[in-house]
Amino acid sequence: MEQFIISVGREFGSGGRHIAEELGKRFNIPVYNRHLITEIAEKTGLAHEEIEKYNESPKSKLLSRTVRGYSNSIEDNIAEMQFEFIREKAQSGESFVVLGRCSESKLKGHPALISLFVLADMDAKIKRIMELYELSEDKAKAFIDKKDRKRKRYHNYHCSSHWGDSRLYDLSINSTRLGIDGTIDHLESYIRARIRK
Amino acid sequence: MLTAQILAVAIFVIMFGVMISEKIEKHWVTLGAGVLTIILVFGVAMQSRDALFETLNLKGIITKDFWITSGEGGESSTGINWATIIFLGGMMIMVEGMAKAGFFRWLCLKLAKLVNYKPIPLFLTFMIMSAVLSMFIDSITVILFLAAVTIELAKLLKIDPVPMILAEVFCANLGGSATMCGDPPNIIIGTGLGYSFFDFLTNTGVIAGICLVFIILYYYIIFRKAILPKAGEKIDFSTIPNPSDAIESKKDFTISCVIFAIAVVLLVTHSMTGLTVAFIGTFIAIITLITAGKNVLIILKKVDYQTLIFFTGLFIVVGGLEQTGILEAIASFIGKISGGNIYIMVAVIMWISAIASAFVDNIPFAATMLPIIKSLAGTNSPMLSCLAWTLSIGTDICGSATPIGASANVVGTSIAAKKGYPIGWGKYCKSAAPATVIVITVSMIYVFIRYCGGVEV
Repeated sequence: MEQFIISVGREFGSGGRHIAEELGKRFNIPVYNRHLITEIAEKTGLAHEEIEKYNESPKSKLLSRTVRGYSNSIEDNIAEMQFEFIREKAQSGESFVVLGRCSESKLKGHPALISLFVLADMDAKIKRIMELYELSEDKAKAFIDKKDRKRKRYHNYHCSSHWGDSRLYDLSINSTRLGIDGTIDHLESYIRARIRK
Repeated sequence: MLTAQILAVAIFVIMFGVMISEKIEKHWVTLGAGVLTIILVFGVAMQSRDALFETLNLKGIITKDFWITSGEGGESSTGINWATIIFLGGMMIMVEGMAKAGFFRWLCLKLAKLVNYKPIPLFLTFMIMSAVLSMFIDSITVILFLAAVTIELAKLLKIDPVPMILAEVFCANLGGSATMCGDPPNIIIGTGLGYSFFDFLTNTGVIAGICLVFIILYYYIIFRKAILPKAGEKIDFSTIPNPSDAIESKKDFTISCVIFAIAVVLLVTHSMTGLTVAFIGTFIAIITLITAGKNVLIILKKVDYQTLIFFTGLFIVVGGLEQTGILEAIASFIGKISGGNIYIMVAVIMWISAIASAFVDNIPFAATMLPIIKSLAGTNSPMLSCLAWTLSIGTDICGSATPIGASANVVGTSIAAKKGYPIGWGKYCKSAAPATVIVITVSMIYVFIRYCGGVEV
């Protein structure tokens, strides 16, 4: 496999972002997360903060309408730009890691796609978020729930499949079992095996 | 009858809810709701074949009056409004032909060149062009091309396209209200009540014209500084595309201009010639397809069949409300709360239309309100026309207030966002909501002065 695209879906607090970045380093390929926002900002002239504000956010159904495929929702338009961007990158033959953005569904059928989903036990997620954001246990739990609800709504609105459904991904992995580093090692060997095939 | 009424209302409310949720495409929603109306309301609850056939309204199409009428009011007024659907289909085919030939892009670039690409004249010209084009062509198509060219030119001229797009969208909705074919609610009202193109032009057309003057002035005042380029910006005029580059084939371009001219002439004169809008739509579609040559399939594929299906389902659902007497009950309620006072009736219809159209699609609203105003007016013809013009203005113009009130708003804001100029609710409503209030106030005063005095309730 000359080109390979690693799509990483993740639960909030599971370490998915760190895992994606680490995989990018190990395979020496770009990771499209923040970088995706920068590229779109450069392409459209939109402010970084503006894209960030609507990034991976579900739209408000009451305040938006779609006419002949055109939507007034800024969230929808930013999402479409990101989908278009990852499709173009995939089409160009480039290898990369992409975090979220419904990439496992938007690139479905692409021969270079390796789709992963990282989940974790709630206790482990709470511990991680408490440390990262300096939050109390209750607040960390509420924060995780809110973020995951948002990701789920975003994903399920833009795709016909359900976020986190194991049938959607080549591999779903619980990062609590092997720890973050162990999970990265395991995923690296899985990806190498896929590339060799 | 009570079961039928409950079912008809439930189907209508659920249809609206599902449409807003956008879980299923709206044409399938209305079609599904239409099928449910046929089965549950007409079949199970009413067990009335007559109500079903009246709503399906197929008999009307094979009568001569459906195509050529000797007087007014020859077209159907209850159930599926086939005249509206056939006319819209015909105009869609014509517009696709024009777009393929590069007509809209050429027109935008040509006018921009004529005003020497100066921001203020360009701003004013595009507002007027948006209103005028929308009188004959659906506002979605107008904004689709106008917004794209506006952004392209604004980038080259180093100006902000957002104020221009906001003003163009408002003017497209305003222009659409001026004629019978400008906005779908007007086609529904016109064909439902047997009004002609000329009737609209001399009534809503005058109101729209007066409002346009106020609106141009308003947008000029609020945006005159925002659309000027920053001091010191250098503009390379050689990069601006030439209007002639927009034309792919001169032959196709000439043909599409001629067909458009024929459509305008036929529409303007249809009360004299007796040709109905259904005839005009069919005729225009046929000549577009005959002259399209090998492009026939491309044009036919691009027609927005979803909208036509949407209309068919919608008319059946509204037919269910009509046949079960729900709309009559709403009409008598409006009659009661207004105490028979025409001024209050006008104000109620205008503001209900305005508020509803600002948040929900104005097409189902107009289709539902039409039988209500017919029932309110009964045989009182001056009252009917007074309420019809009020409904038309209320539904057409007041959709401008929010980004989701009318199709043109959605398309305009979407194109802007895709090109890097997101327009949120705040930015949109800041200029459009006051503009809408101006327009409603001016229209209401006009309707009071011109029509209400002569109406005896």
